[in-house]
This record gives sequence, structure tokens and C-alpha cells, in this order.
Amino acid sequence: MSDTATKDQKTTPAVEMVSLTIDGRPISVKKGATVLDACRQENIPVPTFCWHPKLRSVGACRMCYVEIEKFPKLMVSCATEAMNDMVVLTDSEKCREGRKAIIEFILLDHPLDCPTCDKGGECDLQDNAFEYGLSDDTRFAFRKARKIRDKNSTFDDLQIGPEMVRNQNRCILCYKCVRANEEAFGEYDIGAYQRGHNTEIDAAPGGQVASLYSGNLVEICPVGALTSSDWRYKIRVWNTQTVPSIDPYHADGANLTLWKDATKVHRATSRMNDDTDDGWISDIARYGYQIATSERRIKAPLVNKNGAMVEVSWEEALGVISRRFKEVKESQGAPCLAGVVSPNLDLKTLHAFNKLFRGALGSNNVDYRSDYSNLPTDADSTYGFMASRSFSIDAVASSDVIFVVGSNLIREHPNVHLKTRRAIFEKLSWLYTANPIVTKSADCSTDEMIYNLGTDEVFLNGVTLSLIQQGLADKEVDTGKIETLLIPNTLEKCAETCGVSVERINECAKRLANSKSPTLIAGELVSNSIARENIAKSFYNVALLLGIVQGKRGQAAVLAKAANSKGAEALGLFPEISATQTATLKNQFQSFPELAGANWDAMLSGAQGEDIKAMLIFGANPVQTGADYNHIKKSLESLDFLVVADLKETPTTALADVVLPLSSFAEYDGSFTNLEGRTQDFCAGMKRIGASLPGYEALNRIAQSLGFSLYADLSSLQDEVSELLDSYNAPERKHFLMESHFQAPPAPQENSLPLFAGDALHHFGHWTEMCHSLLEFNPEAALEISADLASRLDIQTGDSVRVLCDRGDKGNKGEKLILKALVSDILEGDTLLASHNFAAKPVNCFTSRDSRVSYVRIEKIEKQ
Amino acid sequence: MSDNKTQTQPIPGLPHVKSPGAPQVKTRILNAESVAEIQKKMARYPVRKSAVLPALTVAYRQVGYLNDEIYAELAAITEIPKLQLAEAATFYTMFPKKPRGKHLIMVCDNISCALCGADNLLRYLEQKLEIKVGETTKDNLFTLQIAECLAGCSAAPMMQVNHEYHENLTREKVDALIDGWRKEG
Amino acid sequence: MNKLKTISRTDDYVVLSRESRPVPDPGVWGMLRTTVVAIPIGFITVFKHLFRKSVTIEYPFKKRPMFPRYRGLHYLERYEDGTERCVCCGLCAAACPADAIYMEPMENENGERLAKVYEINMIRCIFCGFCEEACPEEAIFLGQEYEFATDSRDGFIYNKEKLLVTHPRPENTLKKMWRKVRRFF
Repeated sequence: MSDTATKDQKTTPAVEMVSLTIDGRPISVKKGATVLDACRQENIPVPTFCWHPKLRSVGACRMCYVEIEKFPKLMVSCATEAMNDMVVLTDSEKCREGRKAIIEFILLDHPLDCPTCDKGGECDLQDNAFEYGLSDDTRFAFRKARKIRDKNSTFDDLQIGPEMVRNQNRCILCYKCVRANEEAFGEYDIGAYQRGHNTEIDAAPGGQVASLYSGNLVEICPVGALTSSDWRYKIRVWNTQTVPSIDPYHADGANLTLWKDATKVHRATSRMNDDTDDGWISDIARYGYQIATSERRIKAPLVNKNGAMVEVSWEEALGVISRRFKEVKESQGAPCLAGVVSPNLDLKTLHAFNKLFRGALGSNNVDYRSDYSNLPTDADSTYGFMASRSFSIDAVASSDVIFVVGSNLIREHPNVHLKTRRAIFEKLSWLYTANPIVTKSADCSTDEMIYNLGTDEVFLNGVTLSLIQQGLADKEVDTGKIETLLIPNTLEKCAETCGVSVERINECAKRLANSKSPTLIAGELVSNSIARENIAKSFYNVALLLGIVQGKRGQAAVLAKAANSKGAEALGLFPEISATQTATLKNQFQSFPELAGANWDAMLSGAQGEDIKAMLIFGANPVQTGADYNHIKKSLESLDFLVVADLKETPTTALADVVLPLSSFAEYDGSFTNLEGRTQDFCAGMKRIGASLPGYEALNRIAQSLGFSLYADLSSLQDEVSELLDSYNAPERKHFLMESHFQAPPAPQENSLPLFAGDALHHFGHWTEMCHSLLEFNPEAALEISADLASRLDIQTGDSVRVLCDRGDKGNKGEKLILKALVSDILEGDTLLASHNFAAKPVNCFTSRDSRVSYVRIEKIEKQ
Repeated sequence: MSDNKTQTQPIPGLPHVKSPGAPQVKTRILNAESVAEIQKKMARYPVRKSAVLPALTVAYRQVGYLNDEIYAELAAITEIPKLQLAEAATFYTMFPKKPRGKHLIMVCDNISCALCGADNLLRYLEQKLEIKVGETTKDNLFTLQIAECLAGCSAAPMMQVNHEYHENLTREKVDALIDGWRKEG
Repeated sequence: MNKLKTISRTDDYVVLSRESRPVPDPGVWGMLRTTVVAIPIGFITVFKHLFRKSVTIEYPFKKRPMFPRYRGLHYLERYEDGTERCVCCGLCAAACPADAIYMEPMENENGERLAKVYEINMIRCIFCGFCEEACPEEAIFLGQEYEFATDSRDGFIYNKEKLLVTHPRPENTLKKMWRKVRRFF
């Protein structure tokens, strides 16, 4: 399809309608909709097996038979387009006959093992057989005796993925799993082999079904052919209740349903919300509920007594905290207290934390960005400006050009990644990715631009210059002095520095400029970079020249990472908040400290000096996930008093004087604000584990022990949160091009390889280490290396590799770790990825706070 | 990364547009001629997935059978997921999945041949070759299979060996044929 | 006939009260009939029954066979080879109107579903037989046993060990017959 044809299609907004009659009711639907769509629009029940709202129809099961006037035979409604003046009957005698025959044929080759089947109770085949298939006059002899060891069972249960069990006997060959995997997720790890009666669903040859979205395949299976190992033989579905919940890890805000009984939560499934998730959730969200039921949870407060952590009561722990906090406050002053909170905690906790520090203790030292280093100190930083742009996940699916820069999208935002795929396959959109590493998201990209490490802003400057040179920039923006603003200042130099050719940059710029609704996404490789301000300025320039910042079209944002990062930003949980936020907070808190606060970087250096004496770390684990292990550890060790609240014992709690047990998201009611700014509530699914408390309650107890009260009742706290969220306005600024100067990083030493520390594919942050299902996917800290590098060094998946850091002058000289190699089929080149999700292997010892790229050396350890 | 690919528009149903053109792939089993032939055939199709069957056919002609390793090599050449190659190959029963003998004996056992004694013929062949239907002799000379009607009903019973028909079979005829091939080696 | 005087209705039952009237004088013949005549008749009746077969049985020492469909204490059946029939599907617990059944499933070494915990609280149980009705595996039956009183509440909670029949089980023709009858339906 040519470009112009695509455009013409998109410029005709008038929707043509088709009117037809279904069961005597006149209905009008959009042209192109199927008869099944029309039925569903009117809530007319039509049974289906192979149809899914987010997949293309194939008409494989033929369960959705309807009778249409003038058609000689029954028609499958999911594959018949609705046309004018159609007369459809969905519940006629002929229909029921047809459906009964289909059920009869399916049951002919389906074992009657519902008693042992995990799907029993929520099975489409059970429901439809009950509704449409009951008859005594079947033409076939069904086996009446039902045994566990069915003689006619041809296949045994087969573990085809870390969390997936296949029972081919039950499969009705609807191909939903295969189709969803290819269409929606772009994964090619489950397929249908053989043909006809012998068809078998299995993993790809020599592989496993281990993609990030594999749990969805189990969920959409209409029968019990695919079941999850986690849910296997656990509890019957009719003995559970459901509560709504939200993905507590990613900022996408995917909606979950928690299935619980009287004692605990047993599983999580998706809850379709077209705005955020389309009904697909990542396995991290799906199995992440296990942090609530894990054995590794802290069950009671711990106090460090002569070097040993001793379980104590809340009263005793609070006594210690209040005594020491009061001592520090009285002797050194309130600015010696600092607080760090995790953006994965709910809004009430975040606000209570803010209130405790700013309102009660009188210290402005609060921060939620403990994973980052070299944070902006300026209240109106361009990074902050770009990070607070409004963004809609659903709009990604309908934008015609998507531009992703510096983001491993699938790991950071699984649902944005899926929306991107949807845009490409439904709207034929163009995807341009620009990354220093090869990512999965680039699979279906029009052009995957790999720029040199540490040249993010140079690439973006290249796009800026290309837009100006081609005369495609927004006419209202003054581009006169562009040569003086950017370094390097010509397109050719930029292209040379970043290693992407001029033609490709020009092509990308042209496509972006011609787009009606472009989406520009910048991710963690920008947020986590120490040059983030510079990159953000370059990103801003591109967005400005395309007219996105001015609100003329499309959207552009640096996406928030954690479930409540956006909420923490709106609630003002960082020192350099804007004047309006300060005013609202002053209004809510009785007192507000005048002194400017220290951000996370300043807290660490202050702790090593004399400025910070006591710290409260809430839910965060900077020692494991922050940049530069040694620096953070040294800083926290030199504190007089450290309180850490967390779900489990971490390297950070190991340094603490008092450890408080926190409840997980499944144990209390709360809300998260996702990267769009959408605040979604989640509900408690089970009782709190041990003596653990939700964050806000723990904070209120701390405040009470210090002689304050954070809230009289929860609704008042909720009201304050709502007021803050309502009054929050993203920063505004005048629209002019920013200067962005690139400084070339020092050349790496010979034989050294660039290393990125980040999340493993199936983990997020430090909590998911508690989820046994996720450990099935990624059991330990892995070093992902490209196939090319692996063959050069003769490394295979599973080999032990020694990673060394031997840079001369840095603090992490001589650091070494032994990691398991994982040969990735996605990565290319020399880049290494190491997962920071495992406490046993602090891979952040290789990252540093003062260079953009960390370089290491690796050696294969020969097996003894 | 090659620069000549910026124009490729993703096509629905097509997975992976990474670097078209002729990628340099190292192959262990497939020889250079086969790789060149596959790449030539690829150029005929606007949608990459269409080249699944031609690619499988080329590989089968060269190697004589298909297996996971060959799918992996084909996937590297064609950039079609290995999974889809394996799916297509298993769908078609006439792509063998394991090595076959030099002479593929396909005995028709449909109605005309059956009436004329195909079952006896088959049992005699099993006895003579000391294998069962579907197996290959130890010296890799013969593979015995049953075929559906080969349209040789007028001269039943019959069998097809390496695309050649042998009709009006008797034990003596079969003995002569098999002994002849055994001598050939 | 006696006239019904009042009917007073409480919540649960109806009380009928009769109109009282004077007892008539029996007279001389009446006196004789109730003394001299009635006593020998009484003796004759007693002695007649003394030599007949008794209607009652000496209960704790002798027991009456129960009807085949009597619903007594539950038991869990086994297959012929001794494996448990129960797969812990939970349908009996779902059918139970008294909520007397509790179970937890587990997976055995063959990947089959079995009950890890299976408990019936006999104090709650109302012996309605719905569990037997619901069981798709023909695993649970209500047997003939009715003497299971104990002196502690814990004793009424029957776990899997108590409920499962011993293996090999003593042959019970009645049960075998009953199984055949059930199969027939």
C-alpha cells in the first residue's frame, strides 16, 4: 500500500453506518463490522470459542452460527460482515441445531475430565455445552465412565513453558493462543504442528513458551488445554471471589483481577480496560501478586540489637524510632533527617510520607527517585517538563508514526509495547526506534536505528537539524540560531558521531513531520542517563519543531517507570517542587519547612559528610537498584540512624537499625497513578501478613510516636490526595529551542564491553524476587549477551561468567561478580545487559555515578 | 545494519522486517547453491511468509529430510520464524522428518490393489526387507511406506519406487526388483 | 363423635382439645368383663407370643441389615488396583447443603490430581446424599454404617484415612450389585 493511499484512508473521518435487523431488533453498526460485533453491541448472546475481541476472526470453531435470511446455510457470525437489510436470527431452531452439532463434534474428541481440569467452572466449553449442547439423541457413543486414566487420552500433560502446562487431549483447536501470540504479542514461541485430527499445540522447536505475555495464552484458552503451573490444582474457581486490582510494578497501570478465598489471593488475571491494557497483562503483573503470599516476607518489626536483628513489637520499634529521631532533630536540626520512598507504593502512603517529613518533622529532604543518579536540581528542568507531558496509552494505538528513543519498551512498558504493535498491525503505522542497544520492540519497526553508546542527544540533534534543513519544522518556532545552540551543529557531524546515516535520519524526520498524530516516547535509557537533562533538551527540540509541545498534534513524553512515579510527582515527593505545589502543600500541612531540601544525590553525599544523620527509606532498595553500589552503601553506613520499611529483607535492610514490615498491594485498599496520570484504585484481597502494615498506617504510627498525627481518618487523607492531584498542573514554559551540547565520553579501554544494569525480562525492581513463578522464568541474575559475542568468547547459555570492572581511578575498581550467561537472540553487538533484581548479585557495583556508560571485562569460567 | 531498507512498510501478518537483501548466513547443512536458490525464490514474493514452502522444498531436495536444525538454518536465511517453518513442514506429510533410504517404496493399498493382494505384497516386502511399514532398512537402502491410490488400478497391485511405477506385481517380480537394487547398492 | 371444641394454633403445631363429659356407670357385667374375663385373655395373649418369633432384636448384639439405599456413614471408594477414585474436584463440597466437606487438592508423582486433605464433619452432615449424587468419579458413597458416636467433637471429623475403604477390600456383593445398578443408569 502506498503512502498516499494510507493517508487518504485516514483523511475520511465520516463513518459509514450499516443497518440490519437482528432477532427483530433494528440495529445500526459501523461499516466493516461483523454480525457478531452487531450482536455484541446489542448484548445479544452468541456463543464463541475462537473469537476474541482483540484478535482477527478466523471462524475456526463455528460455534457462533446464526441464521441469516436468504443465505442457504447457517453463517458464522464472527466472519460475516454486517450488510444493509440483513435479517439475522440468533436463537432460531436451526441455529440451536447447528450449535448443538458443533458441540457434539467437539465433545467427540474431548475428554470428560472436568473434575480434574483446572478450567472446570470457568470453561467456555462447559458453559456452551450446558446451554446449547444438551441432548439425548447424540449420534455418537460417548464414554460414560470417567476415569483419571483415560484410555483414549493420547497425550500426557506436557510442560511447554516455565509456567504453562499443555493438555492436548482437551484442545479444541481454536488457535486462539497461536493467533494472540503472533498478532498481539509478536512472539513466535507457540504453534500448531501436524494437521487435522493429529494437530498438536506445542512450543517452538527446541524452545519454551517463555515470552513476557505467556500467561495471557492460558487465560484466553477456552478450555483447559493450556493451564498455568501456578494455578494447577490449587483451588476450584467457584470457591473464590474476585477483587479489582492494578499492576503494582509498571507505570502502564494494567488492570488486574485478584482471585481470593477466605485466606489468601490465589491468582491474578487481566481485567479488560481498553484505555490501558486491551486485556493483555505482562507476566510480571500476573504472577507479581505472589509477593503477598511469599514466605520471604518480613512478619514483624526488626531492631538491630548489638549487631543482630531481633523481632520486636511495633511499640518497641516505634519507641526506638521516636527516641532516635527526636535526638537527631534536637541535636542537629530537622534538615538532618531525610526520607526516601519507593514509587511503587500507593498514593496515600506517598502523601503520608510527605506529610510526615514536611508537615511533622520539618524537613524538605524527601525523594522518590532512588534508582537514579545525578538528578536535576532545577525546579523547571527540561527533563521534568518532558516527563510531565500528558500522554495517553490508547492514543499510541491510533497514532500514525511512533518514534521510540532510548527505551527498551517491552521491559519498561509492556502495555505501551503492545499498543505500539497494535498501531502497526491495525493502522499500518510507522515505527521508528532509536536505541543504543537492539531491543525486542524494534522487531516490527520500519527502521531500527542503533546509535553509538552515549550519543543519545546527538542522534536527536540530528533529527532536529534534519527537520530544519528539510524545511519541515513548525513555522512558528524561531530556528535562526540553531547552529549556536547545538553541538555538533551540522547534520553530517551528528550522523557521523552517532553512527546513523544522514539518509536514515532524514527519512525518519520526514515521516515524523508528515504525520498527523505522532507519538514520541523516550524511556529509561534517557531517564537513567546522567546526561538526562541534555537528552531531554534535544528531545524537547524535536517535539517542539513537530508542534507537539505546542499542542498542535500528537504526544511526546519521557515515560515514568514505576506504578506510582507519576503520582509521586503530582504529590510533590521531591525537593524541587513548583511554587503552586508548595502552596497547596502549605495549605494542607500545618507547617512547611522554609529551607530547600536535598535530593537523593545530595542525601548520599550529605550522609557521607555531616548534613544528613538519620534516614527513613520506605519500600525502596537503593543499595540493590540504585547506581553505584559502593557509594550508596558507604553513605547509608555512615548514617547515625537508618529505618527501612520493606516487604522482605534486602541489602538495604541489612544496613538498617530498625526494619518495619510493610503490607503488599494485595493487602490494603489504595490507588496508583499511571504514566498517563490516570488514578486507578485497587482493593485488598487478603488479610495483612503477620504484623505488617500498609505504608500510610505505619507512617501514622511513626508520627504518633513523635507526637503528631497524619490523619484522623483515611477519608481525610484521601481527600488531601485528591485535592493535590486535582490541583496538579504540568509545568508550562515558553516555546523556544533549547541548547544541547554534547561532550564526547572518554574512549573505553581495549577489550572492555559496555554494560547496562536493569530489569530482567520477567522481573521488576527488587520485590519480584519473591515470586516463585517469575523465578521459573529468570531464576537468577543473568548476564545477557548477544549470540555474536557469545560465539566469539565460546560462551553458552548457563555458563558461569566472571564480570570484572578494572577501570583505573573509579571507586568500583576491582569489583567482580560471577553471573550466569544468557545468550539473547535479540541483542546484537558487544552490549551486555545484567539484571539488578537479585539481592545476591549486586550488579550495580559496575555502574557509576559519573560516567554515562559502564565498561566491564568478562571471562568465561571453565567448568571443573 | 544496512541502509537500503528504510522504505519497508510493515505488512500485517508479517513478523520481522529486520534487514532484507541477502544476509550473510553461515550454514552447516545447507550448501551455497541451496542458499542462493532460496534467496532467489524469496525475491519473488512480496510477503516473506509466502516463501515458506519453496524454502522447505529446496532444503528437502538437498538434504532428503527436514529437522529442527534445518528449520533454524532456513529461519536465518529467510527471516521467517523457525516456528512457522516447522508448522508448515509438519503439516505436509510428504516432507520427511527423518532420513529416508535411497529407494522409497510406496505400496498402494487402496481398494483395487487391496483386492488384488496388496496386503500380501506388503507383508512379503516387510518380511523380505526385515522392516515394518514406515521404517528404513539398516543399510539405508529402502524405506517402506503405504500410499493412497496412485492411479495404477488397471495394473494392480502396484507400487511406486522413486517416482517410478512398478505394476502387476508378483513375488517373483518384487524379488527381482529388490535384488537388482541391492546389487546396485 | 367427639366434637372439636377449640383449635389453638401456635407457630409450630396445632393443639386440639376435647369437650369433657361424665364417665358412664359400667354396671355389674361391665365390672366382670374388665376383671374376671379380661385377665385370662391377657395371659393367653402373652403366652401365645412367648412361643412366636420375636419382632424386636437385641440391638447392640444383633443388627438389622439396612436397606440398599440407606444413607449412613460415608466412605471413599478405590479402583480395583487400590488407587483412590477421588480426584478432589470439589463438586461434593459444592453440592453439600450443610457445608460439611472440606478438601485440598494436590498433584501426585504422575501429575494426577488427588486429595491432600479430605474431611467430612459428621456433626454438620445431614446425610442427604447429595455428595454421592454429585460425585463424577463414583468415589464417595453413603454406606450402611450408622454407629459412629464418639465422645469428642474431633472424633466426628472424618479425614481421608478414616473414609477410604481398606485395600484389598472385603467383597461385598450388595455393593457390587448396587454399582451395577448405578452403571445401568
